[in-house]
Amino acid sequence: MIFNHVLIKLLGTIVPSVGLVVILFLFSEDQLHRNNAFTRRYPPHPIIKQYDLDIGYNSYYIAGFDNDLLYLGNSTAPWHLLQINVKNRDTLHIELKPSDTELKYRSLSVSILPPYFFIMDGTVPFILRGKLGDWKAKTWIEAGAYFNAAIPIDSNALYVRTTSSMTKKYALGILRQAKKMTLELDTTLLETQIDGRFDVDGVMLTDLPSGRLAYVYYYRNEFMAMDPVFGNAKRYRTIDTIKVAQIQLTAPDRHGNIQMAKPPLLVNKTASIHHGMVLIQSDRLGKNESRHMLDQASIIDVYNVVKGTYEFSFYLYHVKKKRVREFAIQGNFLIALVDDHVSIYRTQTPHFPQNIENNGTQYTTGP
Amino acid sequence: MKGSKKVKVWFPYAISMLYAILFIYAATSKLWDFQQFKIQLGQSPVLTAYAAWIAWLVPITEYALAFLLLMDSTRYRAHYATLGLMAMFTTYILLVLNFSAYVPCSCGGVLEDLGWTEHIIFNLFFIGLSIMAILQSAPNKTLKATLL
Repeated sequence: MIFNHVLIKLLGTIVPSVGLVVILFLFSEDQLHRNNAFTRRYPPHPIIKQYDLDIGYNSYYIAGFDNDLLYLGNSTAPWHLLQINVKNRDTLHIELKPSDTELKYRSLSVSILPPYFFIMDGTVPFILRGKLGDWKAKTWIEAGAYFNAAIPIDSNALYVRTTSSMTKKYALGILRQAKKMTLELDTTLLETQIDGRFDVDGVMLTDLPSGRLAYVYYYRNEFMAMDPVFGNAKRYRTIDTIKVAQIQLTAPDRHGNIQMAKPPLLVNKTASIHHGMVLIQSDRLGKNESRHMLDQASIIDVYNVVKGTYEFSFYLYHVKKKRVREFAIQGNFLIALVDDHVSIYRTQTPHFPQNIENNGTQYTTGP
Repeated sequence: MKGSKKVKVWFPYAISMLYAILFIYAATSKLWDFQQFKIQLGQSPVLTAYAAWIAWLVPITEYALAFLLLMDSTRYRAHYATLGLMAMFTTYILLVLNFSAYVPCSCGGVLEDLGWTEHIIFNLFFIGLSIMAILQSAPNKTLKATLL
């Protein structure tokens, strides 16, 4: 009897132990499949580096493109523009001139949309516009609407983000200058989770050939894509799992200013769009990824907004141990700003759509 | 009878010493390169979803068991717990071997250099030791008469 007693105890130890691991295994399988989420796919060589170009300063940002010409604006020298031909590396320094020399401004940003360039200050507010090549900026919209970010979508319209006077929260809109200036705001697009300002912060994107607009939230695993007048807005989840912005805000001080109480959890660091592909830089590691990788490169996740799918991921490597600040795709080139350098990559089939123009020439000869 | 009484005392004790050394060694080498251990667990197809907390749980359990095995008052029960843990490890190895194309090992230290067959033999050997220790220290004579 006692022998049986010990035997039962032994079995009673072994069987639940085996069972527990098997059950854990089955659940793990289930979770992984439902939430393919944190497993990134890295196909070999979706981009191939062409060269790094020293541009001398780390204050440059991407202002836009005109075919093979990349234009970089400079946040510390706002009237200066650097033009780089990404194919032959020719550079040209350009000085922009306002027609109104008495102009007062606070924070200027330059954006290129051929045949025009736009100089914008949403805090004054004003927008100047001029022709590429002429580089004289004439007042285009004055004392119109305040905005905190704007990107031109055609010669007469901009995709803007501003504070809605009605809701006191951030809203996306279209600022149009036809015979008179109009601002159409859609207060339903940005979805408030905490305060409707900090938590909805993100990157605005325009997909120029299709006219598609997008918005990528910084602090949650979500982005949207919509048609030019905000029709057909679709929301997408990224592969990350942070659904609700993890930020903490201070109570307003005497001037009514609110700040972040602690560093926010940044889900999407920066983003770019190209032919219906949304590319998002994320420093968040998938479950099977090594932390050390982030010392060498930034991770870019690629989504297809037409199919609504996560496609693949790739690394953008640091230059001199500095990480990518901003990146964009133009034609068959991926351009990344890293510290005081610009890195030029060539995008590869089948991961990226190739320009027809280049299919006959570059593609067959190869890099 | 006197001899067998001695065996009854020292055998489970020796096994518990052996286990304690094994556990302390394995747990320490896991914590030594904890980041690596966690990544390996995460990459394992069996436990991916729980890698983060299992990575902590395993070495802590190993330390705790080593301690309990060395205490006279808890040794008998610790042998059962050890048996359970070894059964789990072995199940894990079998699942990894049979359900995954990619096989990482996160056992720690030189144990990682064992081949899979050796590993299973190693584990089964220790499981055998556990069972013997339990049987030896089981508080009755009929059992001993039956088995030994």
